[in-house]
Amino acid sequence: MKERQRYNSIRRRVLVVEDEAINREILSNILQSEYEVTCAENGQQALEILRGEGTFSLILLDLLMPVMSGEEMLSRCKADPALAGIPVIVMTQEGDAEVTSIRGGADDFIKKPYSMPEVILARCERIIDLYEKQSLIDRTETDPLTGLYSDEFFFEYIRRFAQADERALDAIVLDIEHFHLINEICGREVGNAILRKIASLITEELEEHFGIACRLSADTFYICHAGMEDYRAFTDRIESGMEELSLSGARIRLRFGINRQVDRSLPPEQWFDHAKLAEDGLRGDYTRRVAYYDQELHEKQLYQERLIRDIDRSIADRDFIVYYQPKYAIQGDKPALRSAEALIRWKHPELGMISPGDFIPLFESNGLVQKLDRFVWEEAGAQIRRWKDAYGRTVPISVNVSRIDIYDPRLEETLLSILDRNGLTTGEMHLEITESAYSDDQKRLIEVVESLRGRGFRIEMDDFGSGYSSLNMLTSIPIDVLKMDMKFARNMLKDEKSLKLCGLVMDISRFLDVPVVAEGVEEEAQLNKLRDMGCELVQGYYFSKPVPPEEFEALIKKEQTG
Amino acid sequence: MITIEKLREYGANVEEGLARCMNNEALYLRLVGMVPRDQNFTALKEAANTGDTRRVFEAAHAIKGALGNLSLTPLYEKASEITELARAGADAPYQSLAEELEAMRDALSGLIEE
Repeated sequence: MKERQRYNSIRRRVLVVEDEAINREILSNILQSEYEVTCAENGQQALEILRGEGTFSLILLDLLMPVMSGEEMLSRCKADPALAGIPVIVMTQEGDAEVTSIRGGADDFIKKPYSMPEVILARCERIIDLYEKQSLIDRTETDPLTGLYSDEFFFEYIRRFAQADERALDAIVLDIEHFHLINEICGREVGNAILRKIASLITEELEEHFGIACRLSADTFYICHAGMEDYRAFTDRIESGMEELSLSGARIRLRFGINRQVDRSLPPEQWFDHAKLAEDGLRGDYTRRVAYYDQELHEKQLYQERLIRDIDRSIADRDFIVYYQPKYAIQGDKPALRSAEALIRWKHPELGMISPGDFIPLFESNGLVQKLDRFVWEEAGAQIRRWKDAYGRTVPISVNVSRIDIYDPRLEETLLSILDRNGLTTGEMHLEITESAYSDDQKRLIEVVESLRGRGFRIEMDDFGSGYSSLNMLTSIPIDVLKMDMKFARNMLKDEKSLKLCGLVMDISRFLDVPVVAEGVEEEAQLNKLRDMGCELVQGYYFSKPVPPEEFEALIKKEQTG
Repeated sequence: MITIEKLREYGANVEEGLARCMNNEALYLRLVGMVPRDQNFTALKEAANTGDTRRVFEAAHAIKGALGNLSLTPLYEKASEITELARAGADAPYQSLAEELEAMRDALSGLIEE
């Protein structure tokens, strides 16, 4: 509650809107004993200030003013969701104006000539108090488990503090590694005890320094701190405090993400997003437990934001290009070009060639990959048609279907429409679904895959062996092709284990009665070995890297002449 | 130079005016000094001369709103009288009323400039 008191002593901001200089001065003089006062000479100026200069706790509004009257301003404020929550006291000489303005959304009125200063101050205080209580009344102030603030209160108090205090602020995010495992293995009671302990350690730290804290979710704590020179002592004390909790040998590892001297022009939520970004970088890194949000991270983030911003324009401008990598059937006398995989490339007009590794995971994480997938489907559909017309044969192209596409109710319709427009059948375009998608929502996935197969599509399981698919899952989800992850072929001649795993994948494919495509084949020796093992299709630099359509055509021609 | 004493003689309720200024004498006197420069006095006179009752009301109302808080009773009462007459659209001698108000303002100016 100590923190609460600190926040109540914050000076709130009040906006006086009054065209008469004498009255502005009198009011400012009265209000400045309690509030931070800003003045505007008319409604228009007031709206500009309200929209540009942070939050106000109260507006004192004169009704008759030139440029924009108080009544008009009041109605505009109440129509603007960002401003509608600020209480308004109307100042008037007119008795009957009171009725209209209270209907228009004013909360109280002050008659001119003004009452004594004490009365005005009391009225302002009452209205502000009423509003603040009301805005918080339906929310819980504290987290019942730890006694720290709930996130809503936390952010609200930070905003109020930041308005009134100039001190530099640091944002800290604290996480417990594998907390769900602690809960699972040791039980919820132990998990809760750990959370309470962390909360009390944080509170102890905050006694000495200025700051407030909240528990954001299960095991994530947010701390806002008014500057500390060295966080080592802080993190050390919290960690050693944790060691007192003996967990039958299990060590509790904490991760700290710190965003020093936050950029106050950004909303507080973003201060913590940045700290969290730094903290996320510690996942799986057992050498460090504290990470700072720094220039490098900031730039990476800006870069990613830029990619997100540019995706639509780049799709429209055709900066994305689809490359094709051939797949060869290797069981015959000589390798035969059988099909291709579509792979996207980005030639950004300003940033140059961007590696798929930089944008695919990013767009997968935010769902934008759906737009890329659609683009590739359109391109691949048109390409199959062109080759069919030019060479009289179908080169089936495999395209990627991302996890998010599985949840799109119009997936099938979209694919069928592309095929239809190009006069193709479902057998001519193959669909690759990455192995990790299979572990997501199996019921949904089975439904979608079964329906697509019913339509005649061939489903290829991509990156098989890189994720966590279980043998049980393989029997329950119908697939047509297994694409063996490229690391198996790459290492098969280097270590015995990879070779054995290759054999195992072949066995699985025989059990499921589907062919295997080996990816990442670079040498003839690998090719020969795979042929001996019964692998049917091969893809990799040995035959060709992914190439633009013109170069791919050379491969088709070579087959026809050779 | 204007003083509290002179204002009291002029008929102002200085206790009330000062209280609104949180008893800041310098502020109160400075604000009183701003009153004669108010453009609405000129606007009122012009409106009265042309017989534009609506504009008479607006100007008188504005004057009343501005100086009411300083408790300059004679000016305030005259401005209120004009405001109420014009608000009702009454057929009143606005020209002479405006001149009376102007005379009171000039008296105040005189105190300030003395």
